[in-house]
Amino acid sequence: MGGSVSKIMGKIFGSKEMRLLMLGLDAAGKTTILYKLKLNSDVTTIPTVGFNVETVTYKNVKFNVWDVGGQDKIRPLWRHYFSGTQGLIFVIDSNDRSRIDEAGKELHKIILDREMKEALLLVFANKQDIPGAMTPQEVQERLKLSRLKDRIWYVVPSCATTGEGLFEGLGWLSNNVKTPPQRQAR
Amino acid sequence: MTSVLSYRPSTSGTTGSANTVLNRQTSLSSFPSTRTPSNPSIRNGTSTIPRLPHRESVSSSQTSSTPSSTKQTPKRNGVTRPARKLRSQYPADTTEKHVEYILVASFHVDRGPIMEHQYPGAISGDENMLAELMLPDQVHNRKEDWTIFFLHKDTSEEEEATEGDGAEKEAATEDDAEGADGEQSITDVDSDANTAEAGGEEEEEDAEGGEGPPLIYVLNLVNTKHDASAKRGAVVKAMAICTRHPFLHIYKPLLLLALEEYFKSPFPETLEHLYNAVNSMDLSLMPRLSMLERHILLASDTKDLFVEKFDHMIQQRLAEEAKHDAISSPDSPSKPSPSKSLPSKSSPDLVGHRPRYIVPRDTHEFESKVVYNQIPVPIKVPTGISPETVGDFSLIRLIQTFSAPHTSTPQPFALHPHLTPSGAYTHPIIVLVNALLTQKRVIFLGHNRPSGEVAEAVLAACALASGGVLRGFTRHAFPYTDLTKIDDLLNVPGFIAGVTNPTFANHPEWWDLLCDVPTGRMKISSRIENAGITDGLVYFQQQNPLYAPNANGVGSTASALASNGDPTGDTAFIEDTVRSISSRHGESAIRSKWRDYIIKFTRIAAAFEESVYGASALYIGASEADAGAHGVRGHGYVWPDDGTKARELGANVWRIEGWRNTRSYYVFIQDLAAMWERRPIRSLDLAHQHDRLRSLKLSHDESAAIYLALSASVKTYDEVCQLLCVTPESNAGLFYISLGLFHPGARVRVATVELLERMMGHEVGRHFWAQLGRFAKLAFFRAKREIMKSSESGNSPVENMAGLGLDARSPLKIYILSPGNKEERLYSWMKWSAMLSFQSDGSGWHLEAREIRSAAR
Repeated sequence: MGGSVSKIMGKIFGSKEMRLLMLGLDAAGKTTILYKLKLNSDVTTIPTVGFNVETVTYKNVKFNVWDVGGQDKIRPLWRHYFSGTQGLIFVIDSNDRSRIDEAGKELHKIILDREMKEALLLVFANKQDIPGAMTPQEVQERLKLSRLKDRIWYVVPSCATTGEGLFEGLGWLSNNVKTPPQRQAR
Repeated sequence: MTSVLSYRPSTSGTTGSANTVLNRQTSLSSFPSTRTPSNPSIRNGTSTIPRLPHRESVSSSQTSSTPSSTKQTPKRNGVTRPARKLRSQYPADTTEKHVEYILVASFHVDRGPIMEHQYPGAISGDENMLAELMLPDQVHNRKEDWTIFFLHKDTSEEEEATEGDGAEKEAATEDDAEGADGEQSITDVDSDANTAEAGGEEEEEDAEGGEGPPLIYVLNLVNTKHDASAKRGAVVKAMAICTRHPFLHIYKPLLLLALEEYFKSPFPETLEHLYNAVNSMDLSLMPRLSMLERHILLASDTKDLFVEKFDHMIQQRLAEEAKHDAISSPDSPSKPSPSKSLPSKSSPDLVGHRPRYIVPRDTHEFESKVVYNQIPVPIKVPTGISPETVGDFSLIRLIQTFSAPHTSTPQPFALHPHLTPSGAYTHPIIVLVNALLTQKRVIFLGHNRPSGEVAEAVLAACALASGGVLRGFTRHAFPYTDLTKIDDLLNVPGFIAGVTNPTFANHPEWWDLLCDVPTGRMKISSRIENAGITDGLVYFQQQNPLYAPNANGVGSTASALASNGDPTGDTAFIEDTVRSISSRHGESAIRSKWRDYIIKFTRIAAAFEESVYGASALYIGASEADAGAHGVRGHGYVWPDDGTKARELGANVWRIEGWRNTRSYYVFIQDLAAMWERRPIRSLDLAHQHDRLRSLKLSHDESAAIYLALSASVKTYDEVCQLLCVTPESNAGLFYISLGLFHPGARVRVATVELLERMMGHEVGRHFWAQLGRFAKLAFFRAKREIMKSSESGNSPVENMAGLGLDARSPLKIYILSPGNKEERLYSWMKWSAMLSFQSDGSGWHLEAREIRSAAR
């Protein structure tokens, strides 16, 4: 009952729902970002076994954010989360220069998947608070984002612990979503 | 047989190459082999023997020793079980271990799930696969979680072994010395299983047969400990016990202790201690029960059923010990004889701890203990286990979970003829059972719930659909699984899986029925395969156009209009079950209700096949039962009239047709054949005759024939057991048999007295006699006196129209104390004596019999 009322309200006032998938190498800060967005507090996280999923509301948009563990062995599972995803948030540890190429490879693998061809790409160049972090431009180059044709992408410098850049990223996603918000299957 | 494993064409053959590669070096996998053998048992038998030269000697020695010591007279003559050596379900000298492996896995911050240790050796399988299963999704959010999963002995390895030794060599080179050990113990167990089969004597139970080698059940405990000193702040570790025993829940307290210990000392020795402790558990005094005995035990709440057997086991043990002491004491005077002295510390490994042996308080469970780290942990092992009963799930919880939301705010289902026989508002539990019976893909999803909860729901669902009668569900159940196994899972045609990842809900192409545990809602997939029109359906429509169901599976208008709108009886059944739950009848009462429901389904299916196809493999011995050897004939389910029968068959056509060609259907046919071999009485369908007594209005001659036939055929120990199987407490016990005491025919009364006397002298029957009402008992003694009097005077007993010799001047109070359907029982009383008035006083029903003589006139 309450749900249907808010659905009607949503139609009138243009409330949107967006399914987001947050991926990245292990220890990039995905879970910290998720809970900073959700709870606006800096939680100490431990490695994600499997996944986390939370709903975050920002500026009338309900973001259904999936955060999936990043250890290399479990990366093949990412594809099961692709279908229905409208936006990909790819999180980079801007201090981990040794693994930025690995991250880039994973990113291109995801973004070229057929089921992800409609998805927006938001890259969080995370951990900007640590001195010596790669700049967003550097991250963009190392990830070879310019190679992506016909894709809408955006790199935001962020710091998960302070929350810097996070809502900017969400704002960009909600402004650029092109497919009409999908009604959830459930 | 080939069709037993005829998998859905849409899913077979899509086996990814990755999977085959994975299988190549595994002998255990969490999935049944995707390579479909045409006949697993035969293939196993032929292909493994060359690989295991020692196996033949093991099996032959065992088969030669066991039957010779136990097998005596195959045909017993007395009602009492002949005194013979009782065998243990778990003999002390068996090579089969209670627990075969102990595993420890952890979540590595860089590498994800990894296996840390395995004892006594590595399970020769995919380590990663096991480690992933041991660390369930989202365990980082909770302190503790339990999971259960099953391992299948991979038959594809054997196939490859016959094709060429390449695969095996590959496996051997990868396995270290421990790995070889692990393989060793698997083959040991395998050979045991084969011995059991080869033993093949009447009491041998092959609980697993039919569908290949037994499963290995894995109980797993995982803990997350926040630890600031650890990298990224936490340590996640899991310990698992792998056993062939379906009652794996008994190991829970031990895993709790051992995992805690492992956090302190993460070494293989910790696993070894646990392994030795659990394997020294002594179950050797637990008697082995025959198939019929087990059925009776499981259907009864009586606490001291078969207590004689337990006692007998103890006597046997004491005698053996006395003998052993007599022999050994002269040789080794230093060694204290255990039975006389205090528990000796010098030989704890001999028999373990031994207090005085006592019979269990409830013979449904055998009490033992495991001493781990000097802590004695009490253990209760079920004496009899129904097929497909794994772990300690609760049917009540499952039914309540999915009943409550449906009762408060019912939501319509998408129609599917197999699943929704009563329309869009079919009860979810019925939809679930139909989905399992017709081999659909069922997923239990419990987002943000412990994975132990979905595992329990899966196990409960298996037991629900099995009813302890049908099999083939647990073998294709994945109590806990996750995304890493999805490709393998989708290769299994028809499964029951438990997951906690809500992404499964977004993939309706992965399942046919999604059961959401937190909300208690079920959903039929939009991508479910349509049910095809089958021959059986077409024939039925031709035979009974009035009662044939429509394409949506909903009953025809004629049958809906006919009476109650519940032609399947499902609505009434669920209401009755829910009522039982709310009046706290307990888990065993609910299980026996479902057992009856599934038995009824199979009997209706048999009747359907006979009427549509002319014959049915679901009923063996139709010609024997119909021959009328004891003056009565007939078999199968009993309906009062043809209209009722056609209506009920019509309502069940779709799901019966959906059940045919499933695994559980074919295994059931095999089981029936095996049971038929062990059935002492074959010329009489006891259930059919008992149902006629129970539910039909029979003439005196008709009922006389049944009583005489029963009395003439039920004589030996096993024959009495067979009769008691059809008269459990839930089916009124011996009540309908005792009505023979009131029969007007004197011969019938004599025959019934004889039959009941056999019951009284029977180890099990005496409990049933004890539960019989006082009214019946008084009638028994009266009839008995009548017989003795007539034999003294030389006259034949008086033919008494009423059959009741009660004195009309002294009203008799009858207390019906045994549980069951009171209304039904009262109705039968009414049949026999018309002038009964009854009232309820809160403690039970009282019947007052008055003026019976005049009533009969």
